[in-house]
Amino acid sequence: MNVQLPRDAVVTAITEHMPDTRTFRLRLQDGEGKLAFRPGQFNMVGLPGFGEAPFTFSSPPQADGSFEHTIRAVGRLTKGLFKLHVGEVLHVRGPFGSAWPLDQVKGRDLLIVAGGMGMVPLRPLLLEAFMKRPDYGKIVILFGARTPGELIYGEEFDSWRGQPETALLLTVDEVPPGEEWKAHTGVVTGLFPDMDIDPDNAAVLTCGPEIMMRFVARGLLLRGFSPARMYVSLERRMRCGTGHCGHCQLGPKFVCKDGPVFRYEELSGLPDTML
Amino acid sequence: MGDQVSARIIREEDLARWTEELRQDYAVIGPVTAGVATSFRPIENPSELDWNYTSTVIPPSKAVYSPRQTLCRFLKAGRGYRIEEVLPSREKCVLLGVHPCDLHGLLVLERTLLGETKDAYYAAARASVLVIGLNCQSVGDNCFCASMGTGPFFGYWMGQGPPQGCDVLLTDLGDRFLVETFGEEGEQLIAKVESSPPTPQDIGEKLRREAAAKEWFRKTLDTRDLPALMRRNTYHPTWRITGEGRCLSCTNCTMVCPTCFCYDTRDRAELDLSVIERIREWDSCQDERFAEVHGGNFRSTREARLRQFVCHKLSYWVEQYGCFGCVGCGRCMTWCPTAIDLTEIAAEIRADEERK
Repeated sequence: MNVQLPRDAVVTAITEHMPDTRTFRLRLQDGEGKLAFRPGQFNMVGLPGFGEAPFTFSSPPQADGSFEHTIRAVGRLTKGLFKLHVGEVLHVRGPFGSAWPLDQVKGRDLLIVAGGMGMVPLRPLLLEAFMKRPDYGKIVILFGARTPGELIYGEEFDSWRGQPETALLLTVDEVPPGEEWKAHTGVVTGLFPDMDIDPDNAAVLTCGPEIMMRFVARGLLLRGFSPARMYVSLERRMRCGTGHCGHCQLGPKFVCKDGPVFRYEELSGLPDTML
Repeated sequence: MGDQVSARIIREEDLARWTEELRQDYAVIGPVTAGVATSFRPIENPSELDWNYTSTVIPPSKAVYSPRQTLCRFLKAGRGYRIEEVLPSREKCVLLGVHPCDLHGLLVLERTLLGETKDAYYAAARASVLVIGLNCQSVGDNCFCASMGTGPFFGYWMGQGPPQGCDVLLTDLGDRFLVETFGEEGEQLIAKVESSPPTPQDIGEKLRREAAAKEWFRKTLDTRDLPALMRRNTYHPTWRITGEGRCLSCTNCTMVCPTCFCYDTRDRAELDLSVIERIREWDSCQDERFAEVHGGNFRSTREARLRQFVCHKLSYWVEQYGCFGCVGCGRCMTWCPTAIDLTEIAAEIRADEERK
């Protein structure tokens, strides 16, 4: 099989979170079956003439074969994707990469720390954990963004909070004048004193800007969380998804196939990362 | 390539006739010297071949791994596009006169492209290629294959078994060539020329010449504990001094390296958008944009990029593939405009550690 060959996927729904951030619900064209993927993995998503880039799944696999990608329009390809309407086709290759360790952290409390678009790969993990709620202990979610409007998936917050033994703490860097904001302001590590979770039994799963993950990891280490149960999801430039194009290399790791989800310990001491 | 190894002797004067015979059935690509540079190119006349060349600019592995390859075509169909797979189709070809460093270059490159995930394009191109190696008796100033265990003669490599990746191996014995074949396809190639069984003197002469060639090396690389040594010295001052002070980010080192595999992709469209091709082209970790993402660049400095190249070859590669990414061909330093030498960098780091 030629893994560099894209497949057609049809857009079945588009949700707009912000003018520059949308979720595309997709399904492989008829007859091509379902994508078997796990939360944390990614697809190469592309359009003819615009190229391809890696996008993490933002939903767990759906019964009808659907999957979602939440995408922010920042470059040529993503702006091209934003011109698509429901019923039109884009291309996917995948799934690629490692997944969140949902099985290994069974029985543990989950501390989920997200920064901005870093919530995208964590959402399918959350939704899958909610589906198997008795498998996990407490779930504490810390979510920070630049402004209240950039806390994506806000329409789902109430249902997340409604789950048993689940807490969602929010923070923003700044509140635009005139907007009402009752939760925390400041960086996401500022929420640490407010969280109620036992470091000895917790697994940490985090995604956000690398500089954020650096302070999250180091801050939590100081609070007694174990580096062996701390997982990060990284972003790198990628062209293939299979460890051939070389762009995503971080020391001896290929982020596309050894990651994007890594145990924090695996990456310690490597150059060219802010972790 | 099987286990079956057999040896024959052919006379030097029969070499041209043999090459001509090969040309009847295969495109023959071999070393041709023009001016100061030798390159692997399709030959039309056996007299073009340079049997005494030292090194080439572009390694022969890159005659298989094309600088540019179309991955697929998108053909306008209704409102969308139909995807058409494009695999390289090549005439049967013989890569002739490949030195042991470059034979290893092929093997190392293939640990990436034909390893865990097979690259369909490389696999298709490789399937049409037979390789005739040539044991090297022309050691250049920058050659250090003897340090890497990849030359000057082709043999056991890092304890990983008998020679692979080569169908026929030639050794120049003066007025005659010792020809060793590995497997059936190699046998068929040598069946095209008159040959005789080797005598014990012929085998002895090969060993004598191998021992002599090993004496000519001026450049060495101490590989003891090298991967760990490099990992321990991620922040050694030489990265800054050499990277920022001398490296020009020209990417020559990666273009001429036999094991470099990195590529970039881009789409090329017809003006009327009826056909769009997705192509890949060699890329380089020395290019400033290589590790760029939206909002940042993980290797924005020449210091970081030089460290990536050298540490990848001498350290990370061992973790990734169980072998060094460097075969000691010396091309990266030969073609570096400021003569940056990875053996000097490694030696400097080792010396500093030993002084401590």
